Order: sequence, then structure tokens, then C-alpha cells
Amino acid sequence: MIVINHDGCILCVGCASVCPKNAIEYIGTRMATYPELCIDCGLCVKACPANVIEMFPGIKNVDELPKEVRRKYKLG
Amino acid sequence: MDVDVVVIGAGPAGTTFARIAAQHGLEVVVFDKRKEIGNPVRCGEGLGAREVVRQGLELPRFVYSTEIYGAKVVGPKGQTIIWRGKDTRGWVLERKFFDKWLAELATDKGAKIKVYHRVVDVIRENGKLVGVKVSHGGREPFDVRAKLIVSAEGMEALTARKMGFPTVHRLYDVDTCYEYEMQPYDHENLIELYFGNEIAPRGYVWIFPKANRKANVGIGIGAHLTTNVKRGGIKGADPKFFLDKFIGNFEPLKDSNTLLDFGGVISVGAPLAKFTMDNAMVIGTAAKQVDPIHGGGIALAMEAGFLSAHAAIKAFEEKNFSEKTLYKYYEKPWRETTGKKLQRRLLLRKVLEKLNDDDLNFIFDNISADDLDKVMKGEYAGVVKKMLVGRPQLMKVLGALLS
Repeated sequence: MIVINHDGCILCVGCASVCPKNAIEYIGTRMATYPELCIDCGLCVKACPANVIEMFPGIKNVDELPKEVRRKYKLG
Repeated sequence: MDVDVVVIGAGPAGTTFARIAAQHGLEVVVFDKRKEIGNPVRCGEGLGAREVVRQGLELPRFVYSTEIYGAKVVGPKGQTIIWRGKDTRGWVLERKFFDKWLAELATDKGAKIKVYHRVVDVIRENGKLVGVKVSHGGREPFDVRAKLIVSAEGMEALTARKMGFPTVHRLYDVDTCYEYEMQPYDHENLIELYFGNEIAPRGYVWIFPKANRKANVGIGIGAHLTTNVKRGGIKGADPKFFLDKFIGNFEPLKDSNTLLDFGGVISVGAPLAKFTMDNAMVIGTAAKQVDPIHGGGIALAMEAGFLSAHAAIKAFEEKNFSEKTLYKYYEKPWRETTGKKLQRRLLLRKVLEKLNDDDLNFIFDNISADDLDKVMKGEYAGVVKKMLVGRPQLMKVLGALLS
């Protein structure tokens, strides 16, 4: 799955435009991600002009992310 | 809710469609998922005069920041070529106000616009597109039925994907861009473009003049490049790194202030292979109708809005919403005119990206403003021949432009 640092995101939808699986969507206020659709291809990381996307291969659920990652990205 | 046409996206394409369709009596509703039309801005804000004049529009003073009288193109060693005309060649917009103004022209004609309304899915009956599901600010979706669905969604174009249009972008066909609005910058009301593989690999730095000694300063570089290590150790293109480097080395901006920090991605590849299907059309950037050389999409979006609205009017007159009808009145005329021009531009882009800085320097040392004018008009042969005389080894790259 990917995690977006929303503080640095400029809402340009670059990630969503190159995502082959519709796993990212601009929902009018922020970028939303759908980890169950993500195939860890990394195209969104490459396209992101603000460099605010980090990929965690193999992980499908926020709860499985390391604690420091959850804290860093304010994911509870 | 039951309407004639649902439009998705209230940018220049969608609101131009809505204005013309509503003017001819069609019942149009435009949904935009953003809370405010025109925000966030994601572009360099340049607009040439041609399409605006063709549609009989007059820009009110508040929708643009400044007029443009020409362009300045700068090579890797600082070689400068300037075109300048007496008349306005275009504007650098205040994009937020421009988009709102186009939306107001549409609502004045009776179109309905709903912001913070996100189309979450399409509705099909027996395989036929009959409407969309729409959510207002994440609330329970409601159904909207329509004879025609027009995707004017821009780069992301998720609903168009759900309809079956292959709108996903390849990295190679995208430029990733970072921009600042900066002050002070003493410009000459010229569009400034800076080239060089060290400055902006497969792209350029732009400085677009704005009012009050301001400028929109940005960069676009090929998104497929692996110039830097990005987050999580993945190699990729980092436009902000190159933009900051350029500004740091550029005396007139080095100590200027940043008033806005933004960016985006630009489609620089071919348009979609298909813009129409039964009961649906894709227009503007959603259809990848973007100039692959300068990355401009506003005029093309307005043009597609205009053509597709006339196609919709015809379709309602003939009570026929088939792909064939929509193709005949929108896609076919587009491909025969603008489509041909963009094909030439794409060829040029693919040639230019193969040039190294030595090639670029040779060209900048030897090309005139008149030559550049010809190149922008698609007349390549004469200019290419002139270049080959001094640097025959360019034949390998530039030869493709001779056919």
C-alpha cells in the first residue's frame, strides 16, 4: 500500500492519473487511497511532483504499518 | 433527478460545453467534486488569444493577471531568442477567477452547476449508459439519469475509465511539474522558456509574467526519468529539486518571495484513441487533448467543449445518441483539424527529447525567431535543412521531421 503525506500534498492528481488500478482518487478535499486495489507498482511515487508518497510493499492495512510510520503520517 | 446531459468537471471544457448546450435549450447539470471552482490551480495559466476570439468571448479584466506580447526562449548557454508583437497574443490568467467566470457564463444561460458533488459511479441498464451516481460531500449517493454523459474531468478522468475509456497515463507521456508564484520579478510581459538537459530534462522551466512584478515560475520534466531518489528509496523524477536549483542560480529570482506553492502533471502524449461511445463523450484534458510541446490545455479544452456541445445539440435534434452521431459531429471534425496539428507537435516532442545539450546549443546558436515561428506552425523541413548544413550528425535525430 501507499501512504500520502497530506501536509505536503498539492492535490495535483498526478498519482491518480498514472495509477493503473484506480487505487487513488481525489475526493474533492484530499487524495483517498484504496489499499485493497494497490499492486505496489510505485508509479504514483515516481509521478508525484511534491514527493509526498511512500510505498510499503506487501502491506494491505494501516494497522500493519510500523508504529513510527503511523505516527509520522498521523494515521493514529 | 433527470436531465438531458450530465457533465463531469467544471473546468474550461465542462463549462464551455454547458454554456453552449444550455444556450441551445438543453438541460445540463455540471458536477464538480471540488469545494470551489478553479481551486486548486494546477497550471502555468497561459492562454493564447485564438480560441477566445473564435468563441466571441471578451475576457473581463479580473480573470487575467497580465497580457502577453510575445515569448522569449533561452538555450542551455543562455542564448536568447525573442518574438514580440504589437498586439496581445494571449494572457496569463488568474485561473481561479477565469474558471469561475466561465462557469458563471454557463449558469447565466441556464446550466446547473453543483460543486462538492462527486460522481462515484456510472449507471448502466442492459449495458447502456443511462446516468451517474453522485455524492454530495461524501453523503449517500443519489442517481442522476441523462441521455448523454460528458467527461470533462481533467488528468484523473476516473469516471471516463469506468465508462471504458482508457484514460490511464503512461509515465513516459506525462511531465511532472512544480510551480511557485513569485514576487518581485521584473518581466517584459513575455512568456519565458528555459531549455537544457541540466535545467529541465525532457522539459523546460517557464516564467510566466503576472501583474505587480509577479511571475508564475515552474518546471515540467519527464515523469519517467530517474533523476533523484524519492521517498522510500524509489528512483524517480523530482521537478522541485530542479526548480529550486534553477531559481538558486537565477539572479533575478534568487531572493524573491514565494506566494504560492503548487504543481501538477501534464499530458504530453497522444490524445485518446477514441473520444466517443454510445451516450458518452470525453473532452479536454480527460481526452488527453493537450499540446505535447508547450503543455497547454485550456484553449484545447474550450475548443472541445464548443465542438462537443454542438454535437450534443445535433444528437438531441436527431434524437440519436449513438457513438456514430457523436463521432460525426465532435470527434471527426476535431481529428481532421486540431488532431492533425497535435500529431505534428507530438512528432516534434519525440525528436526534441533526443537532443543532448551540444545539439541544443548548436540549434540555439543558429536558429532565428522566424525559424521558431515556422516550427511552431508545423513547417519543419526548411528549418531542419538549415540545421543539417552546419551539423550533419543531427540527421539521425531530426530526419524524422523531414517526412
